[in-house]
Amino acid sequence: MKTIQLKPVHLRKLAAITEVKGRALFSKNFIIMPIFSLGFTFLMDLIYSNITDGAVDMSALALAFGVLMNISMTGIYCVSAMLAEEKEKNTLRTLMTSSVNGLEFFLGSLIPAVLMTAAVNVLCVLIVRVEMSPSQWGAYLAVTTAASVISSVVGMIFGIFAKNQVSASTITTPGILIFMMIPMFSSLNEPLEKASGCLFTGIALDAIANIHAGRPAVGTQGILVLAAELIGSVVIFLLLYRKNGFER
Amino acid sequence: MKSKTSSAEYISISHLSKKFDKDFVLKDVNAVLNKGEILGFLGPSGAGKTTTIKILTGQLRPTSGDAEVLGINCRKIDELIYEQIGIVTDSSGVYERMSVYDNLRYFARLLNAPIADIDPLLKRIGLYEHRKKPAGKLSKGQMQRLVVARAILHRPKVLFLDEPTSGLDPSTALEIHRMLLDLKEEGMAIFLTTHNMEEATKLCDHVALLNEGIIVEYGTPEEICLKHNKVKKYRVQLTDGTKHVLLQNQDTAEKISQWLYESRIETIHSCEPTLETVFLEVTGRELK
Repeated sequence: MKTIQLKPVHLRKLAAITEVKGRALFSKNFIIMPIFSLGFTFLMDLIYSNITDGAVDMSALALAFGVLMNISMTGIYCVSAMLAEEKEKNTLRTLMTSSVNGLEFFLGSLIPAVLMTAAVNVLCVLIVRVEMSPSQWGAYLAVTTAASVISSVVGMIFGIFAKNQVSASTITTPGILIFMMIPMFSSLNEPLEKASGCLFTGIALDAIANIHAGRPAVGTQGILVLAAELIGSVVIFLLLYRKNGFER
Repeated sequence: MKSKTSSAEYISISHLSKKFDKDFVLKDVNAVLNKGEILGFLGPSGAGKTTTIKILTGQLRPTSGDAEVLGINCRKIDELIYEQIGIVTDSSGVYERMSVYDNLRYFARLLNAPIADIDPLLKRIGLYEHRKKPAGKLSKGQMQRLVVARAILHRPKVLFLDEPTSGLDPSTALEIHRMLLDLKEEGMAIFLTTHNMEEATKLCDHVALLNEGIIVEYGTPEEICLKHNKVKKYRVQLTDGTKHVLLQNQDTAEKISQWLYESRIETIHSCEPTLETVFLEVTGRELK
């Protein structure tokens, strides 16, 4: 039976891959996603303020939608598209024959995406001007960063199936819609609400509402869902990687 | 891992075969590449040249037989060997948005090569003036030089080149030939695949003529050509412009002596077969 051997990670290589991936995230192909998420947050905040005429504080909802957009677009879309681009341009094969192992490539791709997603999540708070205590900030960062990590691993899973950037878009779009739409419309009916409670995006959205309402960000169920989805996504990734590698 | 091969033997291939589905693409291939030598696998498209490189560099597993690269069995190759070998494939695999310098800097960091070596290397391959240019804007010849530079940046012991001059103009091909001969002089072992018989004759110490996965001839280019030089002929051009192809015999000797005496010979050449004619003779098909 084919097994996965965990290979050592060389910090020198990891730093090089992280730097190049980070620079790629700032290229025009990908930077549009975090910028769009920030713009979307600003727009939602503006629309809600106008609708309620300032009578009801809807900033938490604008923040939640902004974070949702960011996690989906920067986390899932950018990571899968970057992996697909490496396949399309044959740079992935060149990396794999330049002493880079799968784990180094995985971590080097994940770190900048998670950092970018987390940074945008913080900027979204500044855009909607929600005030939070240090403990609320801690809870917010913990939940949104956990969701960012899961979304980036999900992006890698989609990337394994994509042969090029076009197929990456085709594959990720339905996934992104599911991860975004279910939490967005969860308040409309009960099945959607239940489904949203089982998604990391739904947990993040609920956590923001809870923080804003002064309640604990995540309950036991939410923590379990986040932990299960983090472990689950990594396991699925490893299984697919074992079967296909990055270069399928 | 202990090497079974001698210290100068960088690659040894023994009864190597590879099957895709039911079709053999390589069958019982044997070859050796020593330090400071160039070994050429010469054959038309689909002969199994690229498959051989992929097996030797750990990208494919053989169906049967064995191969060792720097003493490491090809089935046990891991990423660490890539710090000792360089690979030039048919696809460039460069980061097109990154500059020429940044491409090399990235791979220098991955392969633990000194960053200070990049500028001298860029000067050597004639790309120093283009070091700030995005790699995607290089011409095909410049791109190929960049790919070769990336492959030799970490001073590998073995360099694999898959059709390195395919589609390049003659002057760029000549520059790459010069570079390969210099690298050979420096002690690098070079495994080259090509369907260009002139390139193989000029560069290779040994060549394997590969047809449908089988080595049909193996040896130095001279040995192979002389082995097939069965009908010895001479091509003579006289001062009046007439051309003659003459078989080696008593009549020809007398005729040439007479022409020499009369100072009528403009040029005279022996007609040994080329690798291309040998390939045609052995396989019944052309190289291209």
